[in-house]
Amino acid sequence: MTPTNQDPNLLEEALRNALRREEAPDGFMDNVLARRAKQESPAQARRSQWFSLFSQPFVRWAAFAAVSICLVFGGVHYRNLQRERARGEAAKQQLMLALRIAGNKLQLAKEKVHGINQPQPPKTTPARSRS
Amino acid sequence: MTTTARKLMPFVLLFAGPLLLRAQDMKLPPEVERLSAKAKETVEVNMEGPMLKWASQFLSKEDPDEQKAARLVANLKAIYVRSFEFTEEGAYSSAEVEPLRAQFRSPEWSRVVGVRSERDGENVDVFFHLEDEKMAGIIIISAEPRELTFVNIVGPIEIDQLADLGGEFGIPKLKTKPLSSKPLAKADKGDHK
Repeated sequence: MTPTNQDPNLLEEALRNALRREEAPDGFMDNVLARRAKQESPAQARRSQWFSLFSQPFVRWAAFAAVSICLVFGGVHYRNLQRERARGEAAKQQLMLALRIAGNKLQLAKEKVHGINQPQPPKTTPARSRS
Repeated sequence: MTTTARKLMPFVLLFAGPLLLRAQDMKLPPEVERLSAKAKETVEVNMEGPMLKWASQFLSKEDPDEQKAARLVANLKAIYVRSFEFTEEGAYSSAEVEPLRAQFRSPEWSRVVGVRSERDGENVDVFFHLEDEKMAGIIIISAEPRELTFVNIVGPIEIDQLADLGGEFGIPKLKTKPLSSKPLAKADKGDHK
């Protein structure tokens, strides 16, 4: 048996000594934070690798060229779509104009036929006055 | 003519006949074509198959008139319109229009309306082209004192719906741009009839 086991007071003393509050050494917190900063998460590590690609001038220029080409092609495609739409609208107007003229002339024909079929009002001839 | 050619002639006519008739759907005589020079305003619309289909894709589904138009043109093959408006009466003579009317005095065309009005000088002719007792085309020739209009619609069409698009009680629905002295619409210069 150790002396601490024999004497409960000694055991208590030993425990108190072991668990007593101690101040952290100077710079402990800074050291912990610095170490934490150095340890990146896997996602961050991947991201930093990806961005590191752009540190090379060739890759930077290639990316710039790709974005520019996409913008130019996108712009041209959009303009073509707009032109196509404008042409379609003009064609639609022509179609509607043609149909309206045709419909209008058919109406005219119908009115004429209807007018002919309508019974004419009897002509009222003024009665001759006997003089 | 050689004997072989003479033997082949019926077959040539048999196959080329329909093509010739198709080509004669509406051929404007040169006298009428020349009227555009005299006209104050001219409207020319030539729309055929693919162009017609394409234009109809832009018809709005909300506008009731355009809905009607979409239904009307769904099965059409072509639409040709010529309209001349003159500043004064007598800019053209009936003799200039007569060759055009004469084109449709053939068995495949039925003249359903022929109005001659001495009173107001408005003459209208409507010809139907029937195939198997179904409407396959319509020609409208309207000769008014200051206006001359030819309409040729190729394909099956609902006459009532078409008339409905023209307005009601004589009030035209022509709400499009004002007519210009130049041809307003030359959509398809193809082999217009």
